[in-house]
Amino acid sequence: MASSGLAARLYTGEANINIVGRRKIWFATAIAIVIISFGSILIRGFELGIEFAGGTEFIVPATANSQTLTQEEAGDKVAAAVHAVAPDAEVLAAQQVGTGGESFFRVRASALTTTEIEEAKTALVADLGVNADQVSDNQVSAAWGGAVTEKAVLGLVVFLVLVCAYLIIRFEWRMAVAALASLMLDLILTAGVYSLVGFEVTPSTVIGFLTILGYSLYDVVVVFDKVQENTRGITAGTSRTYAEATNLAVNQTLMRSLNTGLVALLPVGGLLFIGAGLFGAGTLKDLGLVLFVGMGFGVISSIVFAAPVLSALKDREPKIKAHNARVLARRASRSDDVAPRAERTRSANATESDEVPAFAGGTTPRPGARPVAKRNTTNRGGGAGNRPGKRR
Amino acid sequence: MHPGRQLGVLGLVFVVLYLLVFFAGGAKGSFTDRLEPKLGLDLVGGTQATYIASQQGEPPTPEAMETAREIIESRVNALGVSEAEVVIQGNNTIVVSLAGEADDQLKDLSQAANMRFRLLTGTTMDVSSAALNPASPSPSVAASGSAAPSAAPSAAASGAAPAATSNPSASTGGQGGGEAAPAASATPSAPAPSATPSAAASAPAGAPAAQTVDQKELLASAKKKVGAAAWAAAEKLTAPVDLSADAKAGLPFKGFAQLTGPEVAVLTPDMQFNVPTISCGQLDARPNGSIDDVNSKVVACYQGGAKVMLDKAEVVGDDISEASPQLDQTQNQWVVSLDFTSTGQAKWTELTRTAFNATTTDPCYVAVQALYGTADHCAVAVVLDKTILSAPQIQAVLSGQSQITGDFTAASAKELADQLNFGAIPVTFEAGPAQTVSATLGLQQLEAGLLAAAIGMGLVAIYAFFYYRLLGTVIFLSLGLSALLTYGALVFLGRTMGYTLTLAGIAGFIVSLGVAADSFVIYFERLKDEIHEGRTPRSAVPRAWHRARRTIISANTITILCAVVLYIVSIGAVQGFAFALGLSTVLDLVVVFLFRHPIMTMLASTKAFLSPRVSGLGRVLRNRTDVKEA
Repeated sequence: MASSGLAARLYTGEANINIVGRRKIWFATAIAIVIISFGSILIRGFELGIEFAGGTEFIVPATANSQTLTQEEAGDKVAAAVHAVAPDAEVLAAQQVGTGGESFFRVRASALTTTEIEEAKTALVADLGVNADQVSDNQVSAAWGGAVTEKAVLGLVVFLVLVCAYLIIRFEWRMAVAALASLMLDLILTAGVYSLVGFEVTPSTVIGFLTILGYSLYDVVVVFDKVQENTRGITAGTSRTYAEATNLAVNQTLMRSLNTGLVALLPVGGLLFIGAGLFGAGTLKDLGLVLFVGMGFGVISSIVFAAPVLSALKDREPKIKAHNARVLARRASRSDDVAPRAERTRSANATESDEVPAFAGGTTPRPGARPVAKRNTTNRGGGAGNRPGKRR
Repeated sequence: MHPGRQLGVLGLVFVVLYLLVFFAGGAKGSFTDRLEPKLGLDLVGGTQATYIASQQGEPPTPEAMETAREIIESRVNALGVSEAEVVIQGNNTIVVSLAGEADDQLKDLSQAANMRFRLLTGTTMDVSSAALNPASPSPSVAASGSAAPSAAPSAAASGAAPAATSNPSASTGGQGGGEAAPAASATPSAPAPSATPSAAASAPAGAPAAQTVDQKELLASAKKKVGAAAWAAAEKLTAPVDLSADAKAGLPFKGFAQLTGPEVAVLTPDMQFNVPTISCGQLDARPNGSIDDVNSKVVACYQGGAKVMLDKAEVVGDDISEASPQLDQTQNQWVVSLDFTSTGQAKWTELTRTAFNATTTDPCYVAVQALYGTADHCAVAVVLDKTILSAPQIQAVLSGQSQITGDFTAASAKELADQLNFGAIPVTFEAGPAQTVSATLGLQQLEAGLLAAAIGMGLVAIYAFFYYRLLGTVIFLSLGLSALLTYGALVFLGRTMGYTLTLAGIAGFIVSLGVAADSFVIYFERLKDEIHEGRTPRSAVPRAWHRARRTIISANTITILCAVVLYIVSIGAVQGFAFALGLSTVLDLVVVFLFRHPIMTMLASTKAFLSPRVSGLGRVLRNRTDVKEA
């Protein structure tokens, strides 16, 4: 019953999981992982790809010993030679330059020491059976200029300012702050994971990272849209604290958030599977990975971080503060000895359900709801500790 | 709006887009050729060009090299949204790889970017060798419409001044430029003798003292071509030979017309200027960097019609901190605003003081009069490599931010500002040959990307069918439609804007699948809520649409905002990605409004939709039946 019941209630947005009420847990967790992420970024830094760090380029003739090499062969031979001396080095795909007899292959690898280069070249020359002067090497710079990064960061800042303005106009400043906090959390966590695990940072990674921007906010906006709807005119009644109303909104959009997460992650998973599974590396894998990590965090943080931050901010607003106090006072004045009626009161008149303690077994009514006979059996004892705005 | 009508609009969008794909923007070739999007370097290969950079003959410092790389990169990116790769190889080579065929654009990339600000001190017309032919009758009148002196040689007519920067002026910001003088006539009347720099004799000889072996050789070969007598005559000239007075005056100097660009470059500036048979074509053929010397006077061509003598460079590109195009609100015209570094500002103020305070008899004043037909003040030429970008008349002693005004369009103002910004790099390039390069990843990766897209789409479809049943069909159809629209847009934009599709772009589109599907989830969840609250599906559809629309627009606004900001601010790969993101989001909105909404409206009135088993709203509907029974 419990599981199917939970699924069914998830489906209809009545799971009533107390998310906002457990604010402190989420915040503590968030702070802890942010500290870990920053620590890792500062101490370990990032594993930068060739496009960022530059490297060594090998030039191999296309025609060696009167036999013509294919692009793949050239790449494999160089990779084998490089990996023999530097097992950890990254080697990119070969590229043919020019056509006909004059053509050659360029193969880029991570930066190597002079001795490593010499050894690799010797191995290559032996492997290809050509003269030593036909294989050359060059230092190559980063292909991804500092200017690109600089401009991308500038774009990021401009975007944050504009989006903040937009959210303030569309919602209110507290929501804007909460949304941006959640976005920052996503970005920091994603960067932290990259630093900790040591995934390589390539241009595709940076591009994917920027994609998370829009996506993560997108999710939060949907949740906040519902919150706004649920809390409109909340101070007129005394049935719910702001935090409870927010929690209800989160629950109502929970299914949507999970669905969205799944729907968005499915194609990304496809990318990752194809990219890593078939090629072992490359653009597809890099993009798939960063998006998978970032979007995953995006879905989670929009549920357990953005809304709690919002309610924490709102509870400091004088109007809401007074309202919350009124609601709690009214509840306290009622006899608490009576076990909470676990009946789903779906009445058009929301104030009828005022006996329901905060988060007690999911009996928060919805505006414009109708009575339902189905009893709710999972009574998570709504302890006082779950009450937001009580012990501050 | 009626659902049928919305579908009609969608059909129209579709038809127009594909008509564009097949028949517009230079579509050619077979049926399938017209459906090819432009693929990027990583997928189909392209062209690679190498540039050897040097700083006064030496390999540049690593810092200068990086600046040079970034300048080349921004020039490449300025060609369009194709993602190019620019890397430094070794210590002095820059390798540029671009998608597609080699074209002349690659040659322009290597243009050296030495910028100099020089006072314009003399002007004479450019004469083509045709005017030297004594057999030809006296020159015809210049092109109609130009208030040229009647005796102008016909050749001069070819140098009609472009409207873009004819008679620009420089002033401090806020003042606005002076009155735009009538467009300069293309054929400057011959300047009075006083127009030639009287100080020419005392000026240091043009050729730098430290001549290289090459220069000596060039000088020798130039003398041989010209002949000793003509050479001596040319050296004696103190003013440009006035052909309008005597058509045959150029004859003694006939040999000079045979000189190559490098040979012309070793002549003294006075000779280059005074000898009538040295044409603009020859001056433009001088090697890059041949007029970079800040301490000597130089000769350049202005707008193809006139040779001008320019003074020493008092201000150089390094002195500029930033140039930007701006729309002057008061005058409602485009201007280029210039900011100088603190040391540069002092030099600039001094230069403008000289120009502004010149009297009407000063050579520079006479030169401006000859060039533009009228004159207010002297002009300072902005020279990038061998080209005069602009020669604004100085309207004041400019001690702060300056503005160059003229007949700028938004595009020409941006172009000049970009060039001024490029001016800060003193590196010259020698372009090597362009070669074809193969794809780095190849079509195999493209196929993999498409396979990933198919898998992603399949997974989304399966999930949608499982969760939303019949409504899954709507999602599936919409995604298919979005894909078709996106593809059409890609083909068309690839042809018209040069948008190249890279693997990263493809991945971006795959990701947008999920985001597109998400707007459905928002809508269907809303629908569930509405039905949950006891509405019939038929009445729930419009209500849910109305409420979901707001959420969808808000959420998509953010994505579009993200794309637009990144596109405007960023360069290179990030810009290409932003373009893909914005494009797919906008098309998604089109599909949401013009396809899904009308389809749902139609579905809502069918019987099948009302059956819980089919519509995927099963449980909610069943809950409602429970309620009824209770």
